[in-house]
Amino acid sequence: MKKLAVEGLKYKYPQSESLALDNISFTVNEGEFIGIIGRNSAGKSTLCQALVGLVPHFYKGAYGGKVLVDGLEVKTHSIADIALKVGMVFQNPFTQVTGSKMSVYEEIAFGLENIGVPRSEMVQRIDEVLKMFKIEHVKDHNPFDLSGGQMQRMAIASIIAMRPEIIVLDEPTSQLDPGGSEEVFQAVQSLKKQGITIIMAEHKMEKLAQYCDRILLLDNGKAVDYDTPEKIFSRDDLESYGVAAPVYTKVCKALGAKKQGTNTYPVTLEEAEAVLKEIRR
Amino acid sequence: MNSISLYVERNSFVHDIDPITKLIYIVFAILIPIILPSFTISFICVGISLVLLAFAKVLRKTVPVFSFVFLILITVIIIQGLFKPENETILFQIGPITMYQEGLLFALTITLRVINIVSAFMILVLTTKPSELVESLVRKGLSPRIGYMIVSVFQIIPEMMAAVSTITDAQRARGMETEGNFFVRVKAFLPLIGPVVLGSLINTKERAMALEVRGFNSRVPKTYLYEEKTYAHSKLIQSLLLLGIAGAIVWRIVS
Repeated sequence: MKKLAVEGLKYKYPQSESLALDNISFTVNEGEFIGIIGRNSAGKSTLCQALVGLVPHFYKGAYGGKVLVDGLEVKTHSIADIALKVGMVFQNPFTQVTGSKMSVYEEIAFGLENIGVPRSEMVQRIDEVLKMFKIEHVKDHNPFDLSGGQMQRMAIASIIAMRPEIIVLDEPTSQLDPGGSEEVFQAVQSLKKQGITIIMAEHKMEKLAQYCDRILLLDNGKAVDYDTPEKIFSRDDLESYGVAAPVYTKVCKALGAKKQGTNTYPVTLEEAEAVLKEIRR
Repeated sequence: MNSISLYVERNSFVHDIDPITKLIYIVFAILIPIILPSFTISFICVGISLVLLAFAKVLRKTVPVFSFVFLILITVIIIQGLFKPENETILFQIGPITMYQEGLLFALTITLRVINIVSAFMILVLTTKPSELVESLVRKGLSPRIGYMIVSVFQIIPEMMAAVSTITDAQRARGMETEGNFFVRVKAFLPLIGPVVLGSLINTKERAMALEVRGFNSRVPKTYLYEEKTYAHSKLIQSLLLLGIAGAIVWRIVS
């Protein structure tokens, strides 16, 4: 089932000469995990914001094409309506702290209060996300006193507590150490198992290759390719889009070790291991 | 984190009383001495406030506030005592300086009024969390946007101050003089305030977006994480206070 459909989306920021998004089309099925990659200023963040309606409602500017979220046309609905279906986590965890709540616990409750979740359910949902992101031990701390990584996990937790059907994450692991990133990907993976659709812009290619169903490659506001991680990272022209393939793929490319019976290179450690062992024999 | 709120965490029945009742008490404490202008009434009002502050175990926290207020009041006493136009009765003389009774009594009235207002407000400020106060006002119909604005100030201002000190350190690390005579300080001000203002504007934009996606503008009726804070005798206290005000007005008209 199509959960998200983008049709010929074009967008230009006000006071800008060039298109930030240029004729982008793709569809996402329910429960899929989609990665968005591309160099800086390729349009990843703008595309993420277009999925929740911040583009065009928040920025204004010239807008063309259509974004359908679960059948809802983004252009004709308010951000508050779309927020019930799509949650978004931003790059900077610091500015996602509302500043009106005195503890992490209350901070997570902020979104739930706004969308009118009853108290008993609120408490249950908050406890659940606190556990999921391992921030129970700081639940009574002031949100601004957290470390970057804890703040980022709190930001993701606050969105997930609102139980959207689609979650858009814009570089959610930028402040996290390898362990923290892995935890976020694990949590996202468990959301995917619950049938939640996930869109994530990221630079950590190894992680995307491991977890994503499909990857959207953006360059200069245009969608270059939209395919499985194997196909995307096996492209020869990746470097020209400012993207580096996962290190496993690079090694296998250098050795010319393709996956058996396909024309693609391995993208995860396990796949590379299997292919290279085969060669050694 | 250092907060700019004066709230003091204590265990007392004054802390348990809901913010709305405290607001009504402020109105009561301000109106009564105005309706019934006598020293006795003013003294009683100040006395009640001070006793409540003592019960709330925050009396010591009022000292800095009162000392600041006294500093201003002393100038009022001196100026009124010396120069009030109605001054006639000489109270005492120190060299060429003459203190008059009328001015001094007038200054005493003002002093009592000010102390009365300050101590009534102090009960609210020292024993109520700002977020709690705003939340109860939002429940009573204040726009959540205005409520957010008030509460966020208490956290955003300290954050901005932290940003200022980070930027100061960064500029110093690049060799900028930030200490020295007045001229040096003025010169250091511009490269400091630029990034602070621009940074806050960008932060505000991003925070506004983050609020949007968390349904801040949702039209669904809001729910609250905490139950409304109610004190067992709120209604009784509130009606007694309002009755007191009404009674004072009647007393004033009749007598």
